[in-house]
Amino acid sequence: MKTVTVGVLGAGRIGRIHTENLLRMAGVRVKAVADPYAEFGVWPANDVRTGPDPELVLADPEIEAVLICSPTPTHAPLTEAGAAAGKHIFCEKPIDLDPDRIRQTLAAVDAAGVKLQVGFNRRFDPTFARVRKAVTDGEIGDVQIVKITSRDPEAPPVSYVESSGGIFLDMTIHDFDMVRFITGQEVEEVQAMGAVLIDPAIGEAGDVDTAVTVLKMTDGSLAVIENSRQAVYGYDQRVEAFGSDGSAEAANETPNRVTISGRDGVRQDNPLYFFLERYQASFVAELEAFISSIRDDRPPPVGGRDGLMSVLIGIAAARSMAENRPVKVEAP
Amino acid sequence: MEQTTLGVIGAGRIGRMHTENLVHAVPEARVKAVASPHLDDAWAGSLGIPVRAVHNDAVLEDPEIAAVVITAPSGLHCELIKQAAAAGKHIFCEKPVAFEPLLIEEAQRTADEAGVVLQVGFNRRSDPSLLDLMAAVQNGEVGNLQTIRVTNRDPKAPPIDFVKRSGGIFFDFLIHDFDSVRFLSGSDIVEVYAVGAVLIDPAIGQAGDIDTAIVTLKLASGALAVIDASRQAVYGYDQRFEVLGSAGSVAVDNTKPSTRVVSTTGGVVGRTPHDGFVSRYRDAFVDELKAFLRAVRGEGPVVAGAGDALAAVRAALAAQESFQHQRPVRLEAAAAAAGGGATS
Repeated sequence: MKTVTVGVLGAGRIGRIHTENLLRMAGVRVKAVADPYAEFGVWPANDVRTGPDPELVLADPEIEAVLICSPTPTHAPLTEAGAAAGKHIFCEKPIDLDPDRIRQTLAAVDAAGVKLQVGFNRRFDPTFARVRKAVTDGEIGDVQIVKITSRDPEAPPVSYVESSGGIFLDMTIHDFDMVRFITGQEVEEVQAMGAVLIDPAIGEAGDVDTAVTVLKMTDGSLAVIENSRQAVYGYDQRVEAFGSDGSAEAANETPNRVTISGRDGVRQDNPLYFFLERYQASFVAELEAFISSIRDDRPPPVGGRDGLMSVLIGIAAARSMAENRPVKVEAP
Repeated sequence: MEQTTLGVIGAGRIGRMHTENLVHAVPEARVKAVASPHLDDAWAGSLGIPVRAVHNDAVLEDPEIAAVVITAPSGLHCELIKQAAAAGKHIFCEKPVAFEPLLIEEAQRTADEAGVVLQVGFNRRSDPSLLDLMAAVQNGEVGNLQTIRVTNRDPKAPPIDFVKRSGGIFFDFLIHDFDSVRFLSGSDIVEVYAVGAVLIDPAIGQAGDIDTAIVTLKLASGALAVIDASRQAVYGYDQRFEVLGSAGSVAVDNTKPSTRVVSTTGGVVGRTPHDGFVSRYRDAFVDELKAFLRAVRGEGPVVAGAGDALAAVRAALAAQESFQHQRPVRLEAAAAAAGGGATS
């Protein structure tokens, strides 16, 4: 098996998780990790070069693929720099919050002829992948309604909310991609209702913390996404596809399968607490898919267009809520 | 036990179900008469009902009958309420009371003036599972309500003849969901946005209706609600409810006729949910009549009154308008557009 040599830009939380996963992967060599703000110490491993300068990765001709895990505003310029250096790119979502900036980046990637995968990890979750399989295998017939529940266990700090781009571009963006993934359809129109019910400070920062978003798909089917920034019982991630021949429903993942029955009730442990725990397998699987697409020279399973579409849907949702009317999704 | 003497007007599917429930499962009821132009005399006789008539007068003019159950076709409900109230009889009326707010208000006024109880057949308000969900909400177990979710899917699309006279999916089908949201939240609906599609049977579209709908609601409390409805879920009657609050969530799942699970190399297979509202809400249909009789005897509240029917119809009107004009609709605006701006 051909070894793929990789560099990582950004050593924050997600950068460290990806790096650790790559270090455990057969046929992959992590050669360098760069981050201007990180304290590396002895991490990640002796034979991995570390430093503040992205050129440590971008200028190394041996590195074929770059993971971009830096803050969102740097995604587009680093993707372009990586493409210009002829490297395949895995970029965390979102590529950018501005569709034109994304288009510009995608054009640069195309011109360079490199592969680009966007970090919509949930597509690689075995549970949601099974729901998708129920659709593609025809187990539930033609999809009529997709229903997504997506609730975080605790509201983020207001400082995060202020720079997040808003709930639709920060949180619902994953759900928009999930609807596209499950149905294989595009979103035509969006209507979003939001409310501030959890933390007034989120409202003061110009965002909402609770939202219901209804989507009309190009084939005429419907989808609904319900978001909350805070479900106190844990990370609530459920997906249901309902079709002409039945439904496929994914329940929450829990740390074990134990049921405790006592005088006061029948109890199970709460859902896995947050995305690092819940989507652990998907973070590994998305990188395996990226590496395979390089090794086998195939297009990555989730690409730049998917990254652009979910941002366009998010922008339509934000506008729908602001103007209190349904909004068509702009063409890619 | 003190018995209340009742008469039933209308003996279609629902009428027969209510009558059988009263006879078999409500000991505090005595069904003296049943009237229907197409009465199956053998059926009524087998239940031991002494007065079996084709004309409503047999019920309305019998001084011994204290309360009537109205299950005649929807178009006759308001007129029958007026006649029953004029005869001084307490009234249980199936939904819908009417599709026009003014008619419902008139029915309410008539019943109020006659001093009789008027209960509407929002059966879900008497469902043990929903009442248990309500108990968690009222005990504060989930904190302040933020999102309410209702899934309402019928097992099989109705015949086109029914669709044509049903008043449309919002009035015929989601009316229960609008009421459930009001019931579970204890809050009024202030804004409605409805999307719909014809995905099951093109004939439903040709009849001017839709078979699939998603409706989002803003409530007076500030909370949001969303209803997803389908005329046909092939696996059975899908009735799920969920309330998310600041301290947690409470949900009611589908109930099934049996808890059987068969595990083989082919998979792990449990029973599908109930095959329709009669079996799913069996207890609720009995309990709503018991609640009605308690209200008649002054021992309990009316679990669903004409005001609730009115609020649900106003939500349905707003949903209809929202769907047609593809924009969110405020409830007072919809009421004004329908010429029914007066409040109860």
